[in-house]
Amino acid sequence: MVKIYTTPACVYCKMAKEFFKEHDIAYEEKDVSADKAVLDEMIQKSGQMGTPVIDVDGKIVVGFDEAAIKDLLKL
Amino acid sequence: MVYDLIIVGGGPAGASAGVYAGRKKMKTLLITESFGGQSVISDSIENWIGMKQVTGLNLAKMFEEHLRVYDNVEIRMPEKAALVKEAENGWEVTTDKNNIYQAKTLIIASGGHRKLLNIAGEEQFNGKGVSYCSTCDAPIFRDKNVAVIGGGNAGAEAVIDLLPYAAKIYLVSIGPELKADPETVQEIKKSSKLVIINNAETKEILGDRFVAGLKYMDKNDNQIKTLEVGGVFVEIGSVPNSEIVKDVVEINKAGEIVVDHKTGATNKPGIFAAGDVTDEIYKQNNISAGDGVAAALSAYNYLFNIKKQSPASENLNI
Repeated sequence: MVKIYTTPACVYCKMAKEFFKEHDIAYEEKDVSADKAVLDEMIQKSGQMGTPVIDVDGKIVVGFDEAAIKDLLKL
Repeated sequence: MVYDLIIVGGGPAGASAGVYAGRKKMKTLLITESFGGQSVISDSIENWIGMKQVTGLNLAKMFEEHLRVYDNVEIRMPEKAALVKEAENGWEVTTDKNNIYQAKTLIIASGGHRKLLNIAGEEQFNGKGVSYCSTCDAPIFRDKNVAVIGGGNAGAEAVIDLLPYAAKIYLVSIGPELKADPETVQEIKKSSKLVIINNAETKEILGDRFVAGLKYMDKNDNQIKTLEVGGVFVEIGSVPNSEIVKDVVEINKAGEIVVDHKTGATNKPGIFAAGDVTDEIYKQNNISAGDGVAAALSAYNYLFNIKKQSPASENLNI
């Protein structure tokens, strides 16, 4: 299960989502600007305050780190 | 393999140089970490001529697509030029992948990067309350008090990004007054959330796991004061990425490559520079694109030993 925490204007979030689409990876988008609880969840999980945060089956990647994401998704 | 031209950079200056080099059929190599330059993170660019609105990401894609039209322009991306040296028949560029490329001419279009505060806590709390992208991160600071450092346009624009979210915004400026455009200053001053602190020298970012405060010296009374903030946005300008040629071409005190603004020529034959890395006054996408064009045409003329004048004076034979 892939979750991505985003803000609406975050370009690396867009890049990450495009990457998922390109590789046919289903993901759930969580917009932290819309919901304070979701924002707190992201900060809690990642220990930091930047987006995107990508959660692959509980493993956390901060930022659009393509190599790390590929590794976790075995691409 | 010696290229006619190596372009360093994939922002508006590098991309436009690449397109013109492509059309001039120069054997060209373009080395860049990414396309789009510094405004790639912009959510809305509204002054790129001919487009009312475009995102930085889409502009970057358009640059790349346009460059890939030309078979004679090879692209190495992501790759970062690390050092420029003189070579037998021109110049040599070493990259972070330890590749060495040679060319008869170079265009340095490596742009700039954000200036850091270089104070205690800045690095430690990067991403933990310290942010360099208000557009991206503003929503994360909902209901928090934040400080924006920098009294120029970038600082004022960061305030605009933060106004819908933050509880209170301190705009901290080192000078006696804000340098941002009066129109923007007027706009942000309308908000009761904004507190402007002039004559303030930032000293330290405080916190535990996340940012909790900002220490600054009030130059009015020379007292150290502390703001309780959960976020610090740094908007104090940019630094030219001229490191790779600092021992090769003339650089001014600000770190900018000194160029002839008619041609983009540096003080070294065969090396040209364009865009934000140069001593160009206006650091603008459109200007950088124009600089890139001039540099590419100048590199072409240099290669073929063509002396170029303005068309009107050419007709007069003066």
